Amino acid sequence: MGDNKLLALDNIDLSINEGDFVSIMGSSGSGKSTLMNIIGCLDVPSSGEYHFRNNNVSTLNSNKLAELRNKDIGFVFQNFNLLPRLNAQENVVLPLLYSGKNLKERNQLAIDALESVGLKDRVHHRPNQLSGGQQQRVSIARAIAGSPKLILADEPTGALDSKTGLEIMKILNDLNAKGITIVLVTHEDDIASYGSRIIKMKDGKILEDKKNVNN
Amino acid sequence: MSITDLIYLSQKSLRSNILRSILTSLGIIIGVSSVITMISIGSGARIEVEQQIERFGSNNLIVRSQSSSNRGVSMGANSVNTLTLKDMEALKEELPAIKAIAPRVSLSTQIVANGNNWLATVTGTTNDYFDLGNWKFENGRSFEEEELASGSRVAIIGKTVQKNLFDTDSPIDEVIRINKVPFTVIGLLDAKGGTAWADLDDTVIVPLKTAKQRLVAKKFPGDQIRSMTINVRSSELLFKTEKDVDTVMRKLHKISANGNPDFVIRNYAQFLNARQESSRVMSILLATVAGISLIVGGIGIMNIMLVTVTERTKEIGVCMSVGAKKRDILLQFLIESLMISLIGGLIGIALGLGVIFGVSEYFKWKMSLDYMSIVLSFVFSSSIGIIFGFYPAKKAANLNPIDALRYE
Repeated sequence: MGDNKLLALDNIDLSINEGDFVSIMGSSGSGKSTLMNIIGCLDVPSSGEYHFRNNNVSTLNSNKLAELRNKDIGFVFQNFNLLPRLNAQENVVLPLLYSGKNLKERNQLAIDALESVGLKDRVHHRPNQLSGGQQQRVSIARAIAGSPKLILADEPTGALDSKTGLEIMKILNDLNAKGITIVLVTHEDDIASYGSRIIKMKDGKILEDKKNVNN
Repeated sequence: MSITDLIYLSQKSLRSNILRSILTSLGIIIGVSSVITMISIGSGARIEVEQQIERFGSNNLIVRSQSSSNRGVSMGANSVNTLTLKDMEALKEELPAIKAIAPRVSLSTQIVANGNNWLATVTGTTNDYFDLGNWKFENGRSFEEEELASGSRVAIIGKTVQKNLFDTDSPIDEVIRINKVPFTVIGLLDAKGGTAWADLDDTVIVPLKTAKQRLVAKKFPGDQIRSMTINVRSSELLFKTEKDVDTVMRKLHKISANGNPDFVIRNYAQFLNARQESSRVMSILLATVAGISLIVGGIGIMNIMLVTVTERTKEIGVCMSVGAKKRDILLQFLIESLMISLIGGLIGIALGLGVIFGVSEYFKWKMSLDYMSIVLSFVFSSSIGIIFGFYPAKKAANLNPIDALRYE
């Protein structure tokens, strides 16, 4: 401790516009996960400020953070992070439970979300009855069920074969086309290339931030 | 998040581990069933004592002759009927605290009527017997003064005797043969029910004089009697009167203060107190068991909930990432432990009812189911669930979402 204070993020100055598709790349320890946690309102910076849609997130308490995550942000994880005891629909309903939607409304929203990711016929399947790609689609459905403004995808294709990975990326791309901002964390170049903007990080600093002209 | 949603989620996770949930609630099961049994024994004993007092009359002393040995040999030279009607008169005269005395002679004999045969206890006594013993008449009347004085062959019978001789027909004005002597039935007593050791309704009552002349002339010659029931004016005077009766009786029978008396005074209150005391000891024992098992059960719940929180750390992280607040997580785990303890409470109540039923059937112990005890059990088990579930739930709620998500 003492002098060797480790800075996970150092001097980051970043703004992301609504409707962007941003890929964040970097090796482990580069600070991309910490950046992701702050963008996702899971954590607040120890110094500096983060503003999310007119909220100064740095000053919010845990309840307000939970509310922001619930209403405006959807998470897609590498390992899907579905609750094993709940079926697909119940998993998708989970965020809607916390936002206090009534039973009828939230069930309809969940079914709509599952339909939009092509899982209409898997509504009552449990995670262990679904393939990896299907599980990831359930988790995308969970992320979009509450119509968020931002989706954070942390290595969403990391646990999938390349063909299934491409399907997932296509879904994310379509969501972006509908106006949802997407922040994607990955270390694979071809996955990162889906983004319209690619940020490379190293040792807690932004190394490179450029538009992706191919997209 | 509504309470039904919370309950829905909790039962989902409890059902995924059903054996563990039931094992966890074992302490509560034992605790709650002990509470219910304890309260039932306590209130059962109280009711039994009240009923006994109702049956036998309160403030009564029973004096009976006592054999030093050979109790079975009741006739002949070493007859042990040392009590006499003279003793009774003397006691009445000397002790103003005595309100009434009912003398009694008795024999067990064959009763024949209506072509039926029945063995019953026949008592010869006076009308005081009915008042002192709290006997009520279902039908008919007690003895007339004239009948008592002249030794008429009239009898009053109990419900069991009626049932066995006349079935449901009215026995009034029917003739029954006691020891071959014909008697006319003039009254039918109300049922008192049985105790563990005797059927009180298996009785035939005739005037004292009639009994002495026609039924027990050899067994109780002269003015000998079997026993007397003494009614004391108030319960405060009961113990003092018991001592006074002893003193007077020793004087009458010329027995020194420390000599072996030829009579025994039974105080019914003493017996009832002993009965109450034994059920009190039993209740204290059960209360201890209940207390210990409820605490151990609570610790068991806390233990399992801590394990559950650790096991589901990642899940908690996921819930937090999709918008669960601290309060949501706290409530969910609290409801889970509450459900474990309530399920334990329910099983415990069922088990307790089973024990109560079994004990009262098997031991013929009076147990009374107190509905308050069920309410109390619910309160007990739910507060245990909340108290011991709080720490694990708080621990879950205070998890940092990032650490929880990263937990493997």
